Amino acid sequence: MSPEMVSQLSVGGSTLVLLGGLMMLWRRGVAAHIGAFTFQSVALAATMAMVGWFAGDWQLWAVAALLLLVKGIGIPLLLKRMERRFGSERELEPYVNTATSLLIGGLLVLLAYIVTAPLVSVSRLPTRTGMPLAIGLVFVSLFIIISRKKALTQVLGFLMLENGIALLAVLGTHGIPIIVEIGVFLDVALGFIVMQVFVYQIHETFESIDVEQLNRLRE
Amino acid sequence: MRPWLLGPVQAAVALLLAPGLVGAIRWMKARLQSRAGSPPWQPYLELRKLFAKEVVVSSNASWLFRAAPFIVFGSTVTVTLLVPLLAVPLPFGGAGDLLVVVYLLLLGTFFLALAGLDPGSPFGGMGASREMTVAALAEPTMALAIFALAWGAGSTNLGQIALRTLSMPSEALAPGHVLAFAAIFLVTLAETGRLPVDNPSTHLELTMIHEAMILEYSGRYLALIEWAAALKLLVFFSLLGNLFAPWGVASVITPGALLWAAGTLALKLLALGGVIALVETHIAKLRLFRVPELLSASFILALLAVTASFLLR
Repeated sequence: MSPEMVSQLSVGGSTLVLLGGLMMLWRRGVAAHIGAFTFQSVALAATMAMVGWFAGDWQLWAVAALLLLVKGIGIPLLLKRMERRFGSERELEPYVNTATSLLIGGLLVLLAYIVTAPLVSVSRLPTRTGMPLAIGLVFVSLFIIISRKKALTQVLGFLMLENGIALLAVLGTHGIPIIVEIGVFLDVALGFIVMQVFVYQIHETFESIDVEQLNRLRE
Repeated sequence: MRPWLLGPVQAAVALLLAPGLVGAIRWMKARLQSRAGSPPWQPYLELRKLFAKEVVVSSNASWLFRAAPFIVFGSTVTVTLLVPLLAVPLPFGGAGDLLVVVYLLLLGTFFLALAGLDPGSPFGGMGASREMTVAALAEPTMALAIFALAWGAGSTNLGQIALRTLSMPSEALAPGHVLAFAAIFLVTLAETGRLPVDNPSTHLELTMIHEAMILEYSGRYLALIEWAAALKLLVFFSLLGNLFAPWGVASVITPGALLWAAGTLALKLLALGGVIALVETHIAKLRLFRVPELLSASFILALLAVTASFLLR
Protein backbone atom coordinates (compact mmCIF):
# COMPACT_ATOMS: atom_id res chain seq x y z
CA MET A 1 0.00 0.00 0.00
CA SER A 2 1.29 3.44 -0.86
CA PRO A 3 1.58 6.02 1.95
CA GLU A 4 -1.00 8.30 0.24
CA MET A 5 -3.52 5.50 0.27
CA VAL A 6 -2.78 4.78 3.93
CA SER A 7 -3.36 8.40 4.87
CA GLN A 8 -6.63 8.40 2.88
CA LEU A 9 -7.74 5.18 4.54
CA SER A 10 -6.83 6.39 8.00
CA VAL A 11 -8.81 9.61 7.51
CA GLY A 12 -11.72 7.55 6.17
CA GLY A 13 -11.56 5.08 9.04
CA SER A 14 -11.27 7.70 11.76
CA THR A 15 -14.11 9.68 10.17
CA LEU A 16 -16.32 6.58 10.48
CA VAL A 17 -15.24 6.13 14.11
CA LEU A 18 -16.04 9.78 14.81
CA LEU A 19 -19.40 9.45 13.03
CA GLY A 20 -20.26 6.71 15.52
CA GLY A 21 -19.81 9.27 18.31
CA LEU A 22 -21.86 11.92 16.50
CA MET A 23 -24.62 9.36 15.84
CA MET A 24 -24.96 9.15 19.63
CA LEU A 25 -25.73 12.87 19.69
CA TRP A 26 -28.22 12.62 16.86
CA ARG A 27 -30.30 9.55 17.67
CA ARG A 28 -32.60 9.05 20.63
CA GLY A 29 -33.31 5.76 22.30
CA VAL A 30 -30.92 3.34 23.91
CA ALA A 31 -31.11 0.74 21.11
CA ALA A 32 -29.85 3.27 18.55
CA HIS A 33 -27.05 4.33 20.93
CA ILE A 34 -25.90 0.75 21.40
CA GLY A 35 -25.98 0.33 17.61
CA ALA A 36 -23.82 3.45 17.21
CA PHE A 37 -21.31 2.11 19.71
CA THR A 38 -21.12 -1.28 17.97
CA PHE A 39 -20.63 0.43 14.60
CA GLN A 40 -17.87 2.57 16.09
CA SER A 41 -16.04 -0.41 17.59
CA VAL A 42 -16.17 -2.35 14.33
CA ALA A 43 -14.87 0.68 12.40
CA LEU A 44 -12.08 1.10 14.96
CA ALA A 45 -11.09 -2.58 14.66
CA ALA A 46 -11.02 -2.24 10.85
CA THR A 47 -8.81 0.86 11.06
CA MET A 48 -6.45 -0.94 13.43
CA ALA A 49 -6.24 -3.94 11.10
CA MET A 50 -5.49 -1.59 8.20
CA VAL A 51 -2.65 0.08 10.11
CA GLY A 52 -1.40 -3.35 11.19
CA TRP A 53 -1.28 -4.49 7.59
CA PHE A 54 0.58 -1.36 6.51
CA ALA A 55 3.10 -1.55 9.39
CA GLY A 56 3.47 -5.32 9.07
CA ASP A 57 2.82 -5.73 12.78
CA TRP A 58 1.01 -8.93 13.90
CA GLN A 59 0.42 -7.47 17.37
CA LEU A 60 -1.94 -4.85 15.95
CA TRP A 61 -3.92 -7.61 14.25
CA ALA A 62 -4.24 -9.38 17.59
CA VAL A 63 -5.36 -6.16 19.28
CA ALA A 64 -7.91 -5.53 16.52
CA ALA A 65 -9.33 -9.05 16.90
CA LEU A 66 -9.50 -8.66 20.67
CA LEU A 67 -11.21 -5.28 20.29
CA LEU A 68 -13.78 -6.73 17.91
CA LEU A 69 -14.46 -9.53 20.39
CA VAL A 70 -14.72 -7.38 23.52
CA LYS A 71 -16.23 -4.10 22.27
CA GLY A 72 -17.85 -5.22 19.03
CA ILE A 73 -19.65 -8.27 20.44
CA GLY A 74 -19.25 -8.69 24.22
CA ILE A 75 -20.07 -5.27 25.64
CA PRO A 76 -22.99 -4.58 23.19
CA LEU A 77 -24.57 -7.88 24.32
CA LEU A 78 -24.27 -6.87 27.97
CA LEU A 79 -25.63 -3.41 27.14
CA LYS A 80 -28.63 -4.96 25.40
CA ARG A 81 -29.34 -6.99 28.52
CA MET A 82 -29.25 -3.81 30.59
CA GLU A 83 -31.56 -2.11 28.11
CA ARG A 84 -34.12 -4.92 28.40
CA ARG A 85 -34.10 -4.47 32.15
CA PHE A 86 -34.77 -0.72 32.01
CA GLY A 87 -37.08 -1.08 29.01
CA SER A 88 -39.59 1.44 30.28
CA GLU A 89 -37.06 4.28 30.14
CA ARG A 90 -36.36 4.17 26.44
CA GLU A 91 -36.66 7.87 25.68
CA LEU A 92 -33.49 9.62 26.77
CA GLU A 93 -33.85 13.31 27.27
CA PRO A 94 -30.57 15.24 27.19
CA TYR A 95 -29.81 18.57 28.87
CA VAL A 96 -29.00 20.07 25.46
CA ASN A 97 -31.38 19.50 22.52
CA THR A 98 -30.32 17.42 19.54
CA ALA A 99 -29.67 20.16 16.97
CA THR A 100 -27.59 22.23 19.41
CA SER A 101 -25.58 19.26 20.61
CA LEU A 102 -24.78 18.29 17.00
CA LEU A 103 -23.51 21.81 16.35
CA ILE A 104 -21.48 21.73 19.56
CA GLY A 105 -20.08 18.38 18.39
CA GLY A 106 -18.98 20.02 15.13
CA LEU A 107 -17.34 22.88 17.02
CA LEU A 108 -15.50 20.42 19.25
CA VAL A 109 -14.10 18.67 16.18
CA LEU A 110 -12.87 22.02 14.85
CA LEU A 111 -11.32 22.75 18.25
CA ALA A 112 -9.54 19.39 18.05
CA TYR A 113 -7.96 20.50 14.75
CA ILE A 114 -6.55 23.62 16.32
CA VAL A 115 -5.28 21.77 19.38
CA THR A 116 -3.60 18.95 17.45
CA ALA A 117 -1.97 21.04 14.72
CA PRO A 118 1.48 21.08 16.49
CA LEU A 119 1.17 17.36 17.31
CA VAL A 120 0.44 16.44 13.69
CA SER A 121 3.32 18.52 12.33
CA VAL A 122 5.79 16.62 14.55
CA SER A 123 4.75 13.17 13.33
CA ARG A 124 6.21 11.60 10.18
CA LEU A 125 3.81 8.66 9.95
CA PRO A 126 1.36 8.60 7.02
CA THR A 127 -1.41 7.78 9.51
CA ARG A 128 -1.02 11.14 11.30
CA THR A 129 -3.79 12.69 9.18
CA GLY A 130 -6.47 10.96 11.27
CA MET A 131 -5.18 12.19 14.63
CA PRO A 132 -7.31 15.36 14.86
CA LEU A 133 -10.40 13.23 14.38
CA ALA A 134 -9.37 10.91 17.23
CA ILE A 135 -8.94 13.88 19.59
CA GLY A 136 -12.28 15.18 18.28
CA LEU A 137 -13.90 11.90 19.31
CA VAL A 138 -12.37 12.24 22.80
CA PHE A 139 -13.94 15.72 23.11
CA VAL A 140 -17.30 14.59 21.73
CA SER A 141 -17.44 11.65 24.17
CA LEU A 142 -16.68 13.94 27.10
CA PHE A 143 -19.52 16.15 25.90
CA ILE A 144 -21.82 13.11 25.74
CA ILE A 145 -20.93 12.24 29.33
CA ILE A 146 -21.74 15.71 30.68
CA SER A 147 -24.80 16.50 28.56
CA ARG A 148 -26.90 13.32 29.04
CA LYS A 149 -29.06 12.49 32.01
CA LYS A 150 -29.28 8.72 31.90
CA ALA A 151 -26.52 6.71 33.58
CA LEU A 152 -26.53 4.20 30.70
CA THR A 153 -25.71 6.89 28.14
CA GLN A 154 -22.91 8.14 30.33
CA VAL A 155 -21.43 4.64 30.42
CA LEU A 156 -21.60 4.59 26.62
CA GLY A 157 -19.87 7.97 26.53
CA PHE A 158 -17.08 6.58 28.68
CA LEU A 159 -16.65 3.57 26.37
CA MET A 160 -16.47 5.89 23.35
CA LEU A 161 -13.87 7.99 25.12
CA GLU A 162 -11.80 4.84 25.47
CA ASN A 163 -12.25 4.09 21.75
CA GLY A 164 -11.00 7.59 20.95
CA ILE A 165 -7.86 7.08 23.01
CA ALA A 166 -7.20 3.70 21.36
CA LEU A 167 -7.61 5.29 17.92
CA LEU A 168 -5.19 8.08 18.83
CA ALA A 169 -2.61 5.54 20.02
CA VAL A 170 -2.83 3.51 16.83
CA LEU A 171 -2.65 6.49 14.49
CA GLY A 172 -0.01 8.39 16.42
CA THR A 173 2.42 5.59 17.32
CA HIS A 174 1.30 2.53 15.28
CA GLY A 175 0.14 0.90 18.47
CA ILE A 176 1.53 0.29 21.91
CA PRO A 177 2.92 -3.11 23.00
CA ILE A 178 0.29 -5.81 23.22
CA ILE A 179 0.82 -6.37 26.96
CA VAL A 180 -0.18 -2.76 27.61
CA GLU A 181 -3.18 -3.12 25.29
CA ILE A 182 -4.34 -6.24 27.14
CA GLY A 183 -4.00 -4.31 30.40
CA VAL A 184 -6.12 -1.49 28.99
CA PHE A 185 -8.79 -3.98 27.86
CA LEU A 186 -8.91 -5.55 31.32
CA ASP A 187 -9.23 -2.07 32.75
CA VAL A 188 -12.12 -1.20 30.46
CA ALA A 189 -13.87 -4.51 31.11
CA LEU A 190 -13.54 -4.08 34.88
CA GLY A 191 -14.58 -0.44 34.70
CA PHE A 192 -17.60 -1.44 32.66
CA ILE A 193 -18.61 -4.13 35.15
CA VAL A 194 -18.26 -1.72 38.07
CA MET A 195 -20.34 0.88 36.25
CA GLN A 196 -22.93 -1.75 35.37
CA VAL A 197 -23.29 -2.67 39.04
CA PHE A 198 -23.53 1.02 39.81
CA VAL A 199 -26.30 1.57 37.29
CA TYR A 200 -28.24 -1.40 38.70
CA GLN A 201 -27.82 0.03 42.21
CA ILE A 202 -29.02 3.45 41.10
CA HIS A 203 -32.02 1.76 39.52
CA GLU A 204 -32.73 -0.22 42.71
CA THR A 205 -32.61 2.87 44.91
CA PHE A 206 -34.32 5.47 42.76
CA GLU A 207 -36.40 3.29 40.40
CA SER A 208 -34.86 5.27 37.55
CA ILE A 209 -31.43 5.70 35.99
CA ASP A 210 -31.93 9.41 35.55
CA VAL A 211 -28.98 11.00 37.34
CA GLU A 212 -31.08 14.12 37.95
CA GLN A 213 -32.69 12.14 40.75
CA LEU A 214 -29.34 11.67 42.49
CA ASN A 215 -29.46 15.05 44.21
CA ARG A 216 -32.42 13.85 46.26
CA LEU A 217 -31.46 12.23 49.57
CA ARG A 218 -33.22 9.06 50.66
CA GLU A 219 -33.14 6.96 53.77
CA MET B 1 -21.76 21.58 -34.32
CA ARG B 2 -21.04 25.00 -32.89
CA PRO B 3 -19.88 24.82 -29.25
CA TRP B 4 -22.27 27.48 -27.96
CA LEU B 5 -25.21 25.41 -29.16
CA LEU B 6 -24.38 22.91 -26.43
CA GLY B 7 -25.98 25.13 -23.76
CA PRO B 8 -29.45 25.31 -25.34
CA VAL B 9 -29.27 21.61 -26.33
CA GLN B 10 -28.52 20.71 -22.72
CA ALA B 11 -31.37 22.87 -21.40
CA ALA B 12 -33.76 21.27 -23.93
CA VAL B 13 -32.70 17.75 -22.92
CA ALA B 14 -33.18 18.62 -19.23
CA LEU B 15 -36.62 20.13 -19.90
CA LEU B 16 -37.69 17.04 -21.82
CA LEU B 17 -36.35 14.53 -19.29
CA ALA B 18 -37.54 16.25 -16.08
CA PRO B 19 -41.26 15.25 -16.09
CA GLY B 20 -40.26 11.73 -17.10
CA LEU B 21 -37.96 11.49 -14.09
CA VAL B 22 -40.79 12.46 -11.72
CA GLY B 23 -43.08 9.99 -13.45
CA ALA B 24 -40.48 7.22 -13.25
CA ILE B 25 -40.00 7.76 -9.50
CA ARG B 26 -43.78 7.68 -8.95
CA TRP B 27 -44.07 4.51 -11.04
CA MET B 28 -41.19 2.74 -9.22
CA LYS B 29 -42.65 3.75 -5.88
CA ALA B 30 -46.05 2.39 -6.86
CA ARG B 31 -44.55 -0.92 -8.02
CA LEU B 32 -42.57 -1.21 -4.77
CA GLN B 33 -45.80 -0.74 -2.83
CA SER B 34 -47.60 -3.36 -5.00
CA ARG B 35 -49.81 -0.79 -6.68
CA ALA B 36 -50.32 -0.64 -10.45
CA GLY B 37 -49.44 3.06 -10.50
CA SER B 38 -49.85 5.52 -13.35
CA PRO B 39 -47.45 5.08 -16.30
CA PRO B 40 -44.10 6.93 -16.17
CA TRP B 41 -45.22 9.40 -18.88
CA GLN B 42 -48.22 10.57 -16.82
CA PRO B 43 -46.57 13.94 -15.85
CA TYR B 44 -46.30 14.90 -19.55
CA LEU B 45 -50.05 14.40 -19.94
CA GLU B 46 -50.68 16.37 -16.75
CA LEU B 47 -48.55 19.26 -18.02
CA ARG B 48 -50.42 19.27 -21.36
CA LYS B 49 -53.74 19.31 -19.53
CA LEU B 50 -52.68 22.15 -17.21
CA PHE B 51 -51.38 24.31 -20.08
CA ALA B 52 -54.78 24.06 -21.76
CA LYS B 53 -56.75 24.98 -18.64
CA GLU B 54 -58.12 28.37 -17.66
CA VAL B 55 -56.19 30.38 -15.02
CA VAL B 56 -58.06 31.48 -11.90
CA VAL B 57 -56.37 34.20 -9.83
CA SER B 58 -57.56 35.48 -6.48
CA SER B 59 -58.71 39.12 -6.56
CA ASN B 60 -56.36 39.81 -3.62
CA ALA B 61 -53.27 38.74 -5.59
CA SER B 62 -50.79 41.33 -6.87
CA TRP B 63 -48.47 41.27 -9.90
CA LEU B 64 -46.02 39.21 -7.83
CA PHE B 65 -48.36 36.26 -7.93
CA ARG B 66 -48.42 36.33 -11.74
CA ALA B 67 -44.67 36.96 -12.10
CA ALA B 68 -43.44 34.30 -9.67
CA PRO B 69 -44.03 31.22 -11.90
CA PHE B 70 -41.99 32.79 -14.69
CA ILE B 71 -39.15 33.73 -12.30
CA VAL B 72 -39.11 30.24 -10.79
CA PHE B 73 -39.14 28.57 -14.20
CA GLY B 74 -36.61 31.00 -15.69
CA SER B 75 -34.09 30.69 -12.87
CA THR B 76 -34.28 26.88 -12.96
CA VAL B 77 -33.77 26.78 -16.73
CA THR B 78 -30.77 29.10 -16.36
CA VAL B 79 -29.27 26.61 -13.92
CA THR B 80 -29.39 23.86 -16.54
CA LEU B 81 -27.04 25.97 -18.70
CA LEU B 82 -24.42 25.90 -15.92
CA VAL B 83 -24.60 22.31 -14.67
CA PRO B 84 -22.53 19.70 -16.57
CA LEU B 85 -25.39 17.45 -17.69
CA LEU B 86 -23.88 16.23 -20.96
CA ALA B 87 -20.42 17.72 -21.45
CA VAL B 88 -17.51 19.55 -19.81
CA PRO B 89 -16.34 22.27 -20.11
CA LEU B 90 -19.57 24.09 -20.87
CA PRO B 91 -19.82 27.13 -23.16
CA PHE B 92 -21.52 29.17 -20.41
CA GLY B 93 -19.50 27.51 -17.62
CA GLY B 94 -17.46 30.67 -17.18
CA ALA B 95 -20.62 32.63 -16.37
CA GLY B 96 -21.29 30.91 -13.09
CA ASP B 97 -19.92 28.38 -10.65
CA LEU B 98 -21.47 26.10 -8.06
CA LEU B 99 -22.39 29.00 -5.77
CA VAL B 100 -24.34 30.71 -8.57
CA VAL B 101 -26.21 27.47 -9.21
CA VAL B 102 -27.18 27.07 -5.56
CA TYR B 103 -28.33 30.67 -5.22
CA LEU B 104 -30.26 30.66 -8.50
CA LEU B 105 -32.18 27.66 -7.16
CA LEU B 106 -32.74 29.52 -3.87
CA LEU B 107 -33.98 32.56 -5.81
CA GLY B 108 -36.76 30.37 -7.17
CA THR B 109 -37.59 29.10 -3.68
CA PHE B 110 -37.66 32.68 -2.38
CA PHE B 111 -40.11 33.90 -5.02
CA LEU B 112 -42.26 30.83 -4.55
CA ALA B 113 -42.48 31.64 -0.83
CA LEU B 114 -43.38 35.28 -1.63
CA ALA B 115 -46.06 34.09 -4.02
CA GLY B 116 -47.40 31.78 -1.32
CA LEU B 117 -47.79 34.77 1.01
CA ASP B 118 -49.21 37.11 -1.64
CA PRO B 119 -52.88 36.01 -1.99
CA GLY B 120 -53.25 35.99 1.80
CA SER B 121 -54.59 32.46 2.14
CA PRO B 122 -53.67 30.82 5.46
CA PHE B 123 -52.12 27.72 3.88
CA GLY B 124 -49.86 29.76 1.62
CA GLY B 125 -48.36 31.59 4.56
CA MET B 126 -47.88 28.40 6.51
CA GLY B 127 -46.20 26.67 3.58
CA ALA B 128 -43.97 29.68 2.92
CA SER B 129 -42.78 29.87 6.50
CA ARG B 130 -42.03 26.14 6.58
CA GLU B 131 -40.23 26.23 3.24
CA MET B 132 -38.05 29.10 4.42
CA THR B 133 -37.20 27.20 7.64
CA VAL B 134 -36.07 24.19 5.64
CA ALA B 135 -34.20 26.27 3.05
CA ALA B 136 -32.37 28.30 5.72
CA LEU B 137 -31.16 25.08 7.35
CA ALA B 138 -30.30 23.25 4.11
CA GLU B 139 -28.32 26.11 2.58
CA PRO B 140 -25.26 26.15 4.91
CA THR B 141 -24.94 22.39 4.44
CA MET B 142 -24.94 22.80 0.68
CA ALA B 143 -22.34 25.59 0.83
CA LEU B 144 -20.03 23.56 3.10
CA ALA B 145 -20.32 20.38 1.01
CA ILE B 146 -19.44 22.46 -2.04
CA PHE B 147 -16.33 23.79 -0.34
CA ALA B 148 -15.26 20.21 0.37
CA LEU B 149 -15.42 19.50 -3.37
CA ALA B 150 -13.94 22.81 -4.44
CA TRP B 151 -11.01 22.38 -2.07
CA GLY B 152 -9.91 19.20 -3.82
CA ALA B 153 -10.36 20.60 -7.31
CA GLY B 154 -8.95 24.04 -6.55
CA SER B 155 -11.96 25.68 -8.21
CA THR B 156 -15.67 26.19 -7.58
CA ASN B 157 -16.40 25.77 -11.27
CA LEU B 158 -18.59 22.70 -11.80
CA GLY B 159 -16.80 21.67 -14.99
CA GLN B 160 -13.42 21.86 -13.26
CA ILE B 161 -14.61 19.69 -10.36
CA ALA B 162 -15.98 17.06 -12.77
CA LEU B 163 -12.78 17.16 -14.88
CA ARG B 164 -10.62 16.72 -11.81
CA THR B 165 -12.52 13.59 -10.74
CA LEU B 166 -12.35 12.31 -14.33
CA SER B 167 -8.57 12.69 -14.39
CA MET B 168 -8.05 11.18 -10.92
CA PRO B 169 -10.59 8.35 -10.50
CA SER B 170 -9.32 7.47 -6.98
CA GLU B 171 -10.57 10.91 -5.84
CA ALA B 172 -14.17 9.69 -6.19
CA LEU B 173 -13.73 7.42 -3.17
CA ALA B 174 -11.81 9.93 -1.03
CA PRO B 175 -13.49 10.38 2.39
CA GLY B 176 -14.26 14.04 1.67
CA HIS B 177 -16.16 13.11 -1.48
CA VAL B 178 -18.14 10.31 0.11
CA LEU B 179 -19.22 12.47 3.05
CA ALA B 180 -20.08 15.41 0.80
CA PHE B 181 -22.20 13.05 -1.31
CA ALA B 182 -24.13 11.94 1.77
CA ALA B 183 -24.63 15.55 2.87
CA ILE B 184 -25.84 16.72 -0.54
CA PHE B 185 -28.15 13.70 -0.81
CA LEU B 186 -29.89 14.74 2.43
CA VAL B 187 -30.09 18.34 1.17
CA THR B 188 -31.62 17.05 -2.07
CA LEU B 189 -34.35 15.32 -0.08
CA ALA B 190 -35.08 18.55 1.80
CA GLU B 191 -34.84 21.00 -1.11
CA THR B 192 -36.93 19.03 -3.57
CA GLY B 193 -39.62 18.20 -1.01
CA ARG B 194 -39.07 14.44 -0.83
CA LEU B 195 -40.17 12.17 1.94
CA PRO B 196 -38.60 12.51 5.34
CA VAL B 197 -39.05 16.29 5.04
CA ASP B 198 -42.13 16.77 2.85
CA ASN B 199 -44.50 14.28 1.28
CA PRO B 200 -44.74 14.89 -2.49
CA SER B 201 -47.88 12.80 -2.97
CA THR B 202 -50.17 14.22 -0.31
CA HIS B 203 -52.51 17.17 -0.16
CA LEU B 204 -53.19 16.79 3.54
CA GLU B 205 -53.13 20.35 4.83
CA LEU B 206 -51.28 19.88 8.09
CA THR B 207 -48.24 18.10 6.69
CA MET B 208 -47.54 19.75 3.38
CA ILE B 209 -44.80 22.29 2.66
CA HIS B 210 -44.33 22.69 -1.07
CA GLU B 211 -47.96 21.91 -1.95
CA ALA B 212 -49.20 24.48 0.59
CA MET B 213 -47.33 27.29 -1.14
CA ILE B 214 -48.69 26.54 -4.60
CA LEU B 215 -52.24 25.81 -3.50
CA GLU B 216 -53.60 28.99 -5.08
CA TYR B 217 -52.10 28.34 -8.52
CA SER B 218 -53.97 26.89 -11.46
CA GLY B 219 -53.71 26.44 -15.21
CA ARG B 220 -50.50 27.33 -17.00
CA TYR B 221 -49.00 28.96 -13.88
CA LEU B 222 -49.30 25.68 -12.00
CA ALA B 223 -47.88 23.84 -15.01
CA LEU B 224 -44.80 26.10 -15.02
CA ILE B 225 -44.26 25.61 -11.29
CA GLU B 226 -44.65 21.83 -11.50
CA TRP B 227 -42.28 21.70 -14.45
CA ALA B 228 -39.74 23.84 -12.59
CA ALA B 229 -40.01 21.58 -9.54
CA ALA B 230 -39.32 18.52 -11.70
CA LEU B 231 -36.39 20.35 -13.29
CA LYS B 232 -34.98 21.19 -9.86
CA LEU B 233 -35.09 17.52 -8.92
CA LEU B 234 -33.26 16.68 -12.15
CA VAL B 235 -30.61 19.36 -11.47
CA PHE B 236 -29.93 18.03 -7.96
CA PHE B 237 -29.76 14.46 -9.25
CA SER B 238 -27.36 15.37 -12.02
CA LEU B 239 -25.19 17.30 -9.54
CA LEU B 240 -25.04 14.12 -7.45
CA GLY B 241 -24.45 11.92 -10.48
CA ASN B 242 -22.07 14.03 -12.55
CA LEU B 243 -19.97 15.72 -9.87
CA PHE B 244 -19.28 12.63 -7.80
CA ALA B 245 -19.20 10.03 -10.58
CA PRO B 246 -18.60 11.98 -13.80
CA TRP B 247 -18.00 8.95 -16.01
CA GLY B 248 -19.87 9.16 -19.28
CA VAL B 249 -19.85 12.98 -19.43
CA ALA B 250 -18.50 14.02 -22.82
CA SER B 251 -15.21 15.94 -22.82
CA VAL B 252 -15.14 16.24 -26.62
CA ILE B 253 -18.18 17.53 -28.46
CA THR B 254 -19.11 14.93 -31.07
CA PRO B 255 -22.63 13.54 -31.67
CA GLY B 256 -21.54 10.07 -30.56
CA ALA B 257 -20.04 11.27 -27.27
CA LEU B 258 -23.10 13.42 -26.58
CA LEU B 259 -25.46 10.50 -27.20
CA TRP B 260 -23.38 8.31 -24.88
CA ALA B 261 -23.46 11.13 -22.28
CA ALA B 262 -27.26 11.41 -22.56
CA GLY B 263 -27.56 7.64 -22.13
CA THR B 264 -25.36 7.49 -19.01
CA LEU B 265 -27.14 10.55 -17.59
CA ALA B 266 -30.49 8.82 -18.00
CA LEU B 267 -29.09 5.72 -16.29
CA LYS B 268 -27.71 7.75 -13.36
CA LEU B 269 -31.02 9.60 -12.98
CA LEU B 270 -32.95 6.32 -12.97
CA ALA B 271 -30.55 4.81 -10.42
CA LEU B 272 -30.88 7.81 -8.07
CA GLY B 273 -34.64 7.83 -8.66
CA GLY B 274 -34.71 4.17 -7.65
CA VAL B 275 -32.85 5.00 -4.43
CA ILE B 276 -35.36 7.77 -3.68
CA ALA B 277 -38.29 5.43 -4.38
CA LEU B 278 -36.78 2.83 -2.03
CA VAL B 279 -36.14 5.43 0.70
CA GLU B 280 -39.68 6.81 0.38
CA THR B 281 -41.18 3.33 0.62
CA HIS B 282 -39.06 2.47 3.61
CA ILE B 283 -39.44 5.49 5.90
CA ALA B 284 -42.21 7.70 7.22
CA LYS B 285 -42.32 11.48 7.21
CA LEU B 286 -40.48 13.18 10.08
CA ARG B 287 -42.36 15.45 12.41
CA LEU B 288 -41.73 19.04 11.38
CA PHE B 289 -39.92 19.71 14.66
CA ARG B 290 -37.50 16.85 13.99
CA VAL B 291 -36.54 18.19 10.54
CA PRO B 292 -33.90 20.61 11.97
CA GLU B 293 -32.26 17.59 13.63
CA LEU B 294 -31.96 15.76 10.32
CA LEU B 295 -30.59 18.87 8.64
CA SER B 296 -28.06 19.54 11.39
CA ALA B 297 -26.90 15.94 11.01
CA SER B 298 -26.35 16.61 7.32
CA PHE B 299 -24.54 19.83 8.26
CA ILE B 300 -22.18 17.78 10.44
CA LEU B 301 -21.57 15.40 7.54
CA ALA B 302 -20.66 18.37 5.34
CA LEU B 303 -18.38 19.75 8.04
CA LEU B 304 -16.57 16.41 8.32
CA ALA B 305 -16.28 16.36 4.51
CA VAL B 306 -14.53 19.73 4.57
CA THR B 307 -12.19 18.70 7.37
CA ALA B 308 -11.35 15.42 5.61
CA SER B 309 -10.41 17.18 2.37
CA PHE B 310 -8.50 19.76 4.40
CA LEU B 311 -6.50 17.06 6.21
CA LEU B 312 -5.56 15.23 3.03
CA ARG B 313 -4.25 18.27 1.22
